[in-house]
Formats: sequence, C-alpha cells, structure tokens
Amino acid sequence: MKTTWPIIKRLVFYIVLTGATITMCFPLFWMISSSLKTLDETNSAGIIWIPNNPTLDAYINILHNSDFLRSYFNSIFYTTLALVGTLASIAVVAYAFSRIEWPGRNLVFFLMLSTMMIPPQALIVPQYVFFNKLGWVGTFNPLIIPGYFAGGAAMVFLLRQSMAQIPKELDESAFVDGANHIQVFWEIVLPLIKAPLATVSTFLFVGFWNSLLMPLMYLQTIKLYTLPLYVTTLYNINVTVQPWPTIMAAAVLTTVPLMVVFFFTQRFILESVVITGLK
Amino acid sequence: MLDNSYINVLIYAVAAIVFIVISSVAVASLARAIAKLGGATRRKQGNTFAGYLFASPWIVGFLIFVVVPMLFSLYWSFTNYRIASATPTRWVGLTNYIQLITKDNDFLSSIINTLFLTVLGLPLQMGVALFLAVLLNQKMHGERIFRMAFYLPVILGFNTAVLLCWRLMLNTGTGIINQIIRAVDNAVPPIGYFSRSVIFIQELFSAFFLGITNGSFTLLGKVWAAGLPAANRVPLWVQSPLWSKMSVVLLIIWGCGTMMLIFLAGLNNIPRELHEAAEVDGAGGWKRFWKISFPLLTPYIFYNLVVGLIAMLQIFEPIYVLYRDNQPLIPSTISMVYYLWQATFSHFEIGYGSAISWLILIIILVVTLIQFKMQDRWVFYDLY
Repeated sequence: MKTTWPIIKRLVFYIVLTGATITMCFPLFWMISSSLKTLDETNSAGIIWIPNNPTLDAYINILHNSDFLRSYFNSIFYTTLALVGTLASIAVVAYAFSRIEWPGRNLVFFLMLSTMMIPPQALIVPQYVFFNKLGWVGTFNPLIIPGYFAGGAAMVFLLRQSMAQIPKELDESAFVDGANHIQVFWEIVLPLIKAPLATVSTFLFVGFWNSLLMPLMYLQTIKLYTLPLYVTTLYNINVTVQPWPTIMAAAVLTTVPLMVVFFFTQRFILESVVITGLK
Repeated sequence: MLDNSYINVLIYAVAAIVFIVISSVAVASLARAIAKLGGATRRKQGNTFAGYLFASPWIVGFLIFVVVPMLFSLYWSFTNYRIASATPTRWVGLTNYIQLITKDNDFLSSIINTLFLTVLGLPLQMGVALFLAVLLNQKMHGERIFRMAFYLPVILGFNTAVLLCWRLMLNTGTGIINQIIRAVDNAVPPIGYFSRSVIFIQELFSAFFLGITNGSFTLLGKVWAAGLPAANRVPLWVQSPLWSKMSVVLLIIWGCGTMMLIFLAGLNNIPRELHEAAEVDGAGGWKRFWKISFPLLTPYIFYNLVVGLIAMLQIFEPIYVLYRDNQPLIPSTISMVYYLWQATFSHFEIGYGSAISWLILIIILVVTLIQFKMQDRWVFYDLY
C-alpha cells in the first residue's frame, strides 16, 4: 500500500509533520534563544529569531543568585527523597496486588482504582488542617511523607500490570527452594521489571519536579522554595521592565533535568502511556 | 548547606518508614488472626499475612490521607470553621452550600470558565490530538522523533518555568506570537481578513460567556457594534478578559500529547483488513477515515472526553503563572481548583473550602455519570 502512494502525497505529509514538530517545540526554542539575548533584544519591536551576539550574561546573573541556587538544591533534595520512598512503597504494594493471593485482594484493588476518580485537589483543604495540626506547615514533610504510603494509584496500577505478566512458575520454584516473599520480591520480581520501574520513576520525577500547588501551600519561606515556586517570583508584575533574559535562563536550567530524563526514558514512557492512559 | 529543615525532614522520613513497617505488621497479624479464626489452612494464613503486609502501606495511607480527611471535610463543610479564628466553630447547616450556589460570583465564574474550556478548548485539543495521531499513523520514517516532539509538551507543560516562557511569547506588543501574526497579516492581506474575523468571532464568543457570568450583555453588544476589528488588531492574550481564557486554550492544545498517544493506540487497534476491504471497494482515504476509523475510535474519544473534562476543572499552574498578580483578569479565567485554593487559603476558611471541595467532587461525579449514560448513543464497542 505504501509504495503505491504518490510521492507528492508523502512529501505533503512530511511537510505537515515537520511544521507540527516545529510548532510544538517552538516554546523551547524561544526559551533558549531569549536566554541568550540582551534585555533590549527581548523587548525589541522586530522579530529576533537568534540573537546576533549571543551572551551568557543572563546565566552568569542567575548563577550568582544564591536564592536560585538554594531552590535548585531544594528541588533536587525534595524530589530525590520523595521519589525514593514513593517508588519503593508503590513497588511493594504492586507486588501484593499481583503476586500474592489473599482474601479481600479484589476489593482493596477496586477501592484503589476508584480513588483515581478523586481529584487530589479535593483533599487539599482537610489535609492542610491535618498537617497544620502536626506542625508540618513550613516544612518539606507534607510534600514527601504522603508519597511513602504508596501515593499514586495510577502508578501502582502500571507496576501491577507489569508484575502480573511474570510467569508464576518463577516464584513457585523459588518458594520450593525455601525463599520467602521478600526474597522473591527483591531477587526475582524487581530485576524483571526494570523498564516499568524506569517509567514510573520518570512520571514520579516529572510530577514532583513540576509540582506547584503543594509547595505553594506548605513551603512558607523563601529558604525552602523549590524551583517552580522560586522561578515565578522572578517575574514581578509591578516592575515595568521584566528581566526576561534572566528569567529565561532560569527557565532553561529548570527544564534541563526534565529533558535529560525524558530523553533517556522516552522509549518506555511512550509505550506505557498507552497501557494506562495516564498523565 | 544542610541545616535543620533538611535534617528534620530526613528524621521524619525515617520515622514514617518505621511507622509504615509497624502498622503493616500489625494489620497483617490482625488479618492472619482473623483467617485463623475462620479456619484457613496454614498456607492460606501465610498468604493472608504476606498479602496484607505488602498492601498495608496503601491501606494505611488510604485511611490516613483520604478517608479520614474526606469525612472531616464533609463535617466541616457544614460549619464555619476557620483556622486561627477568634469565634468558636459552629454548625451552620447548608449555609456554605447556599452561599456558594446562589451568591458567590467567583464560584459561578469558575463554573462558566470551565464550561468555556469544555466547549472550546476540549474539542480543539482532541481535534489536534486526533490530527497528529492520524499523521503519525502513516508509519513514516522518523516517526519516533515526531512522537517524542509531540509528547514533550506534556512533560514540560506544567512547569512554571515553561509557562513563564509562554507569558513572554504571549505579550501583546512585543510577544513573538503576535509579531508573527502581524507579519503574516501584512505579507498576505487575505490572511489578514481571515485572522481579523477569527479575532471578531472569538471576542463575541468570550463576551457571551463573560455576559453569562456578569448577568449583563452590554460587553457583547459593544463588541458586536464595533464590528470587524481594525486592520492592525492582534489578539490581546494576557491583557484583556476577552482573551485570558484563550491563552489557556492555547496551552491546553499544546499539551495534547497524552490524548494523541491514546488515539494512536486506537488507530493501531483497527484491523488492517477493514481498510483493505474498503479500498478494494473504491473508498478513498477521507471516506475510509470517517466510515471506518472514526466510528471505531469513539471509545477512545469517550475516554479522552471523560479524562479531559476532569482535567479542565483542575487547571491551576497556567492561571497562577499568567494571571496571579493581575487581579482584574482573575475572574475571567479561574478554574474551579484555582478558586478552591484562592477562596480557602486567602483567609483559611476551612468550612467554606470544604464545601467547595465537595461541590467539585459532586460535579465530577455527576458529569462522569451523565457521560457514561450518554455513551450508548454514540460510542461503538462492537469490535472489542
């Protein structure tokens, strides 16, 4: 079928695809291009696609900003801590739902899937009161600890689906050899689901790294700000001239980890989105 | 660099793990004891213990972070509870709900805005997603790279850094988007007329929705009376209440990657033989799309519709970044979740905020149920 297509038609398809790609990636290009401009160039009345004399001043500027550096560290710190605990607990729970037969399993699993219907924001008000009572407002705790309780039903579902595909005979023979569930989980199941683990880690990483609402509610002082929160403070509507090159340099530095992670895991991600339909 | 805040959270993280382990063992022992009472075999008792041991982190978390907060917020929604309030908390019955539904203009705006996004943004988003999926489904060389490029906005889209770049691009005067529109309009006059009529129609549409919110349609009359905008008019993206929602629509369309992947999966599931048979019968590509692909895609369209609508209620980051400090524009653009955040945390009115949360939950439930009821009329499941 493909070979009978007129060449013109294929060419048109390529042109449209390329056009769509340029459009979709344009904000990224514009972000990088603007970060290399001078302030006058970002406010220029004519279009400057690529600055004539690219300058790294904006990057030097933002890298001398200790608040920015601290928020970068905060983002890495909080994302790592939240990611490790969330991933571990999700894997453990997914194991219970796929590799062990226990009474009540279907009911609990159904309950878990039905929580996907509840938008997480519907819980922010009572949770705030709860964390306030615990004295956790103004700390990282509310952003990290809830994840340790296998936060994210969709992620548990994704891992469960992958674990359920491993042949049962593998663990049965291990049990005959005297292994227990913890050993089977660690030594047999986990090594076989590296790709789904990578996918889930990426989704979690992106979720934590981009998160705005929770840090906004709980990180009250600039010392604790994460990147998404700090970057918005660079833009101040009360100032007539925005320091756009500096803001864009900060934006580029903020998105670099996302791009790197996506680049290395996109193969797994693009497949798994279809399995679960999430994000 | 490590000071108290960091060490503190590490200690809490360790404490949380210890708590999870202890509570899991407790839940699992309880389950095993119950199984033993029920006369289960030794092997079954072991499985019960292991199952509950591994599942407990979720069960315990579900109780602590979902069930208990929801019950409390249901109770608070009938009170005037406020954090740090001088007056003691009182039961006020349905007052919060009545106030929200009948008197609260901002809540009404958030519903109308969501409606706008649903009527205009969601079809556009699904249309673009479907268009891109059909393009990718032609199995061209380099499909992987195109697919990556179309999905990338989903990864980046809701980071405030990227949204700030949109803010720069959407500047009315010097923003790149308007500069491109101006350049194209000047270069090709017929396109100029086209974009002016698009601006006109969009402004009429937005004015109509703003009219519903305000209960007066004078703005709509003004836009209508002004007629086709002048030759050099450009969209006033982040400047005018007539355009504030449109900027969010742009962002929604940009982030259509997930929907695209789901459509792509749907297209891949259509049996090749159907298309081949139709081709033998002389059906062209266009006809085959509408008569074969489209009906078979309706389950996927339905899924995207349900998920997309819930996502519309939850838009937060774009509004925060684009309009946070622009108080006059806020009512023309807030989503329900943004309103929930604003109304609750500006004065820590927990009672009122709880009522909003529950209304949002009820709305989501009702809308989803209606969609499931309506699906018999247009969704084809025959082949699956």
